[in-house]
Amino acid sequence: MSADVPRGPPGQRRMPPRGVVGGQWSQFSGLTARELIKTFRNPWVILITFAQPFMWLAFFGSSFANVSVAYLDKLLDAPPGTGYLDFLLPGVLATSMMSVGMFGSMSTIQDKRFGFMKRILITPTTKATVYLSKVVGSATRGLVQIPVMIVAAWAFGVHFNGSVLMWAGWIAGLVLLGIGFSAFFLAITASSTDWQTPGVIANFITMPLMFASGALFPASNYPGWMQTIANWNPVGYSALLGRGVLVYANPDWLYLGYLGLFALLMIVIGTLVAARYLRTE
Amino acid sequence: MNGYAIVTEKMTKVYGGGSLRLGIPGVPPSARAERGVPRSPPPVEDDARGIVAVDHVDMRVRSGGVFGLLGPNGAGKTTIIKLLTGLSDLTAGTAQVAGFDVQKDPLEVKQRVGWVAAEVILDDDLSGWENLWLQAKLQRLADWKGRAEELLKYFELTDRKKDKVGHYSTGMRKKLEIALALLHEPELIFMDEPTIGLDPNTRQMLWQLITGVNREFGTSVLLTTHYIEEADRLCSEVAIIDHGRFVAQGSPAELKSRVQADFVELETAEEVTDERLRGIPGVSEVRTQGKVWMLKVASAEEVIPNILRALDAGKIHRINVEKPSLETVFLNITGKHIDQVGADIPDYRKFYASMMRARR
Repeated sequence: MSADVPRGPPGQRRMPPRGVVGGQWSQFSGLTARELIKTFRNPWVILITFAQPFMWLAFFGSSFANVSVAYLDKLLDAPPGTGYLDFLLPGVLATSMMSVGMFGSMSTIQDKRFGFMKRILITPTTKATVYLSKVVGSATRGLVQIPVMIVAAWAFGVHFNGSVLMWAGWIAGLVLLGIGFSAFFLAITASSTDWQTPGVIANFITMPLMFASGALFPASNYPGWMQTIANWNPVGYSALLGRGVLVYANPDWLYLGYLGLFALLMIVIGTLVAARYLRTE
Repeated sequence: MNGYAIVTEKMTKVYGGGSLRLGIPGVPPSARAERGVPRSPPPVEDDARGIVAVDHVDMRVRSGGVFGLLGPNGAGKTTIIKLLTGLSDLTAGTAQVAGFDVQKDPLEVKQRVGWVAAEVILDDDLSGWENLWLQAKLQRLADWKGRAEELLKYFELTDRKKDKVGHYSTGMRKKLEIALALLHEPELIFMDEPTIGLDPNTRQMLWQLITGVNREFGTSVLLTTHYIEEADRLCSEVAIIDHGRFVAQGSPAELKSRVQADFVELETAEEVTDERLRGIPGVSEVRTQGKVWMLKVASAEEVIPNILRALDAGKIHRINVEKPSLETVFLNITGKHIDQVGADIPDYRKFYASMMRARR
């Protein structure tokens, strides 16, 4: 071993230079980057991220291939000539934002199980910072699906409407939806250390919210009770916002406001929950 | 910091337990006289108080030394580290680490201490360099790369720094973990069972490293161990801990000088009694654990012939001599070997407490 090691006389310790004292930005950015590095270094994640949109559109989007155009227009309650894929694309994108929280939740449980959460929390890093980095990390992972899905839709011959501004608003809505669900998911699994929890909860949440949203079929055909759920379902807001852009070129911006409110509410509640209940191991 | 890296007063941690535990500050250090003897069945208030993992510990750790917490598994060593690093909240008492109160200013403490886990904890998906990068981010270090390179060089990891940590050997992982702990130049570094599960060569290497880190980096070290020779070799000061309490504290030499005696461990098929053994010339104290007798003697060499004369030598299975060591210090205080305890009593109590909880 070499002897030229930095040594300081006792009492005259040179403290290394630090960032803003008390701030958590450094920890947050480091942990978020770690989530993304770990995610996108995994070839399977890349493969699934790229394959899934194509599979959705190919399999689900072909469900009405042999239905007459007139009947489909009536069923979808959409302007003449709207294909099912045009109708479906905003819904599928909204749906796929729902499950992104599961990834962050699984990586959190892995950190607890392998003790890495202890390594993080024995540094000047708060539980709220850990939580927020997981929220942003898993939401970002979901957002990568957006461009892939849009390219896939283009390849399947979806008609695109709307201005650049409308598209920006739609995508912002998807980001908010992803953050909101990710925040919600991570908050309810904050105290869990069981591998199976994220999967179970994902199934429990995703299925009803997916169908009771108007994302895949028009909500006007639902029974009353399901329409009530759809009226309060952020997945539906995102689907309607996207459909407003893509099909009608006339979005209702109120939906974007609702999505913003949803994301904000989930982040605030989730941060409070995580600061108190995030388990270390 | 008046020369102390750690100062605690009546530091106490109780796991589980009901609302009664709020009364802890007033509770005297539990007068469990017959420690080591499982009370059957444990009284109900024991369950209400939960498991007392750390029991009114007053700790003074001088800056600049290597302080060892020596005790059997389950004695509360890891819990003490969790309390001192702010990972776990104190139930009662206070703890000051690196000049700050752990409960009031946990983040101040955390940027002044390093931590090396018993089970090596690194991110296996990241490279060695990326692990250092993340640690720098978590410690909010602006200018860390030079220091990181120096540490890699010191620990002889430079040529592997771009490899994923998952492909490192155990010794390399341990070294990298120590490098992470040293990156922000902590005043104090916690090492929980630093050599557990390591092969003899790696253990030797690690002993040299710990001594080196302490001398060359000027970093105080607090380590836990249940290996006698580890505490003896590395530590300038040792606290012996049993059932969450400090039962003795001092330098290894001091502690050893307090027990001016040898111990003779004796196993025999013969029916013997306390009185009979005590009657053997040179035996000053007799303890028993099942069929094993523990005799405290002035000098084992002189007493063994007496034992062989007094008992039926043909029926003796085993005689074992313990010369003064930290082991005999522990023996003298608790009447047990360090690796004998831990397995039975605390687990029994934990088990009972969890049964009680489950039944509710």
